[in-house]
Amino acid sequence: MRSIFQLLIRSGGFLAFAMLEVLCFYLIVRYNEPRAEIYNYSAGRIGGKIQKRWQHYTDYIGLQDRVDSLAAENARLESLWRNSRLIQIPYRDTSVLTIADSILLGDSMILRKHVRPAFDFIPAEAISNSVNLNNNWIMLNRGRRDGVTPNCGVITSQGLVGVVRLVDEDISMAMSLLHRQVKISAMLKREGAFGSLVWEDDNPEVMTLKFIPKHIEILQGDTVVTSGFSQMFPRDAMIGTVLDATPKIDPENPYFYAIKVKLRHDMSRTKDVMIVKNLFAPQIDSLLHRMKDE
Amino acid sequence: MNNASIFPHLWRFLGLTAVQILIFNPIAPQAGQYFNVLLYPLFILLLPIKLPTFYAVLLGFLIGLSVDLSAGIIGLHASAGAFSGFIRNTVLIAFQPKGGFTGKEPIASPAYFGWVWFLQVTAIFFLLHTFWYFSVDSFTFVYLGAITLKTLAGWILSMLFVVFYGFLFYPKQ
Repeated sequence: MRSIFQLLIRSGGFLAFAMLEVLCFYLIVRYNEPRAEIYNYSAGRIGGKIQKRWQHYTDYIGLQDRVDSLAAENARLESLWRNSRLIQIPYRDTSVLTIADSILLGDSMILRKHVRPAFDFIPAEAISNSVNLNNNWIMLNRGRRDGVTPNCGVITSQGLVGVVRLVDEDISMAMSLLHRQVKISAMLKREGAFGSLVWEDDNPEVMTLKFIPKHIEILQGDTVVTSGFSQMFPRDAMIGTVLDATPKIDPENPYFYAIKVKLRHDMSRTKDVMIVKNLFAPQIDSLLHRMKDE
Repeated sequence: MNNASIFPHLWRFLGLTAVQILIFNPIAPQAGQYFNVLLYPLFILLLPIKLPTFYAVLLGFLIGLSVDLSAGIIGLHASAGAFSGFIRNTVLIAFQPKGGFTGKEPIASPAYFGWVWFLQVTAIFFLLHTFWYFSVDSFTFVYLGAITLKTLAGWILSMLFVVFYGFLFYPKQ
């Protein structure tokens, strides 16, 4: 204790000086108004500067999240764009897929002639919607005049919404996914197995993926996307994720699973959508027609 | 500091504080903003040469606070006093004679070191003190020009009284 005291006396000069200066500073600011104002002004300015710096810093840190979300959005748009240039021609039981290369698209006459966008996207707004009925419909503010035709798909960036059935001049009616008659050709993205997506439950968040063979490995959280075989939706459009921890066998068809799928898009919040128009639909229809006649 | 030598310092403390409070501080507001005489730092400089900085800081703070209590702005002279106590040893060591202080000279007085030495040391010491004082007084370096002018004016006036004090008392302890 004594030696500590001696050390303090011997080399505590600076410590004493610093502490007393802090005390003096406090006394001056506390008991003297003009200097308190100077202090508050300076402290405010310095504090503001520090806060600004800090804001810059946190903005910079948060930038990564924004970059990630933008990259994800970019990837989604990219896939959408590629998909829209995907020619998909079913020929009997096989299908031929061709992806158009953007460079070739401009250069090659042959490709330019043959490769055209497969899908057109028409922005639309839902003007009425329901999720509580057995057969739900969505009214859209786009119609024939905007290029909408029956059997166009309706999607959002989150997932599928429905299929256009009735078209008037400026308005169209789409069967919601939550309609007992809707069947969507869907695919387990990881396994590549495809089946039929229907709405069997009354839960507006869950649909059932049927006709997935039992040898397919199914994991909870597996992504379910469109298969692209229905002509109504581009391939790999997001639908939802597998809800079941262990898949259940379809009671009506014991060779297949009936998998519960949690929809990514909240159907009760459908507002801004895109109507997907397959530009090859007339040709495909006529081909399918002729195929039946063969 | 033994008992025999404590009283000259005590008298100096009381005397310089009284002169500062009763004469120099009341004159300043009437004589204009550049008329500032700070004589009390002489007490800090004339403390025993061998006194540890720790005590010098405390005593400098104490005499500054005493002047403050009658002057109005609490902490202003106290800050300058603590600062002068802190730099005192550095100034003295910078001007120490060849071979260092022997211990035969108890205080930094012209009686032991001569007038030239005394004026050099006091000039540096008072310049630093007045600059610190007016900087804290302005409380910002925005008015650095005014601070410099006040410092120079105050320093010259103070030095006149320091010389006067030296002649008058020629302190030996």
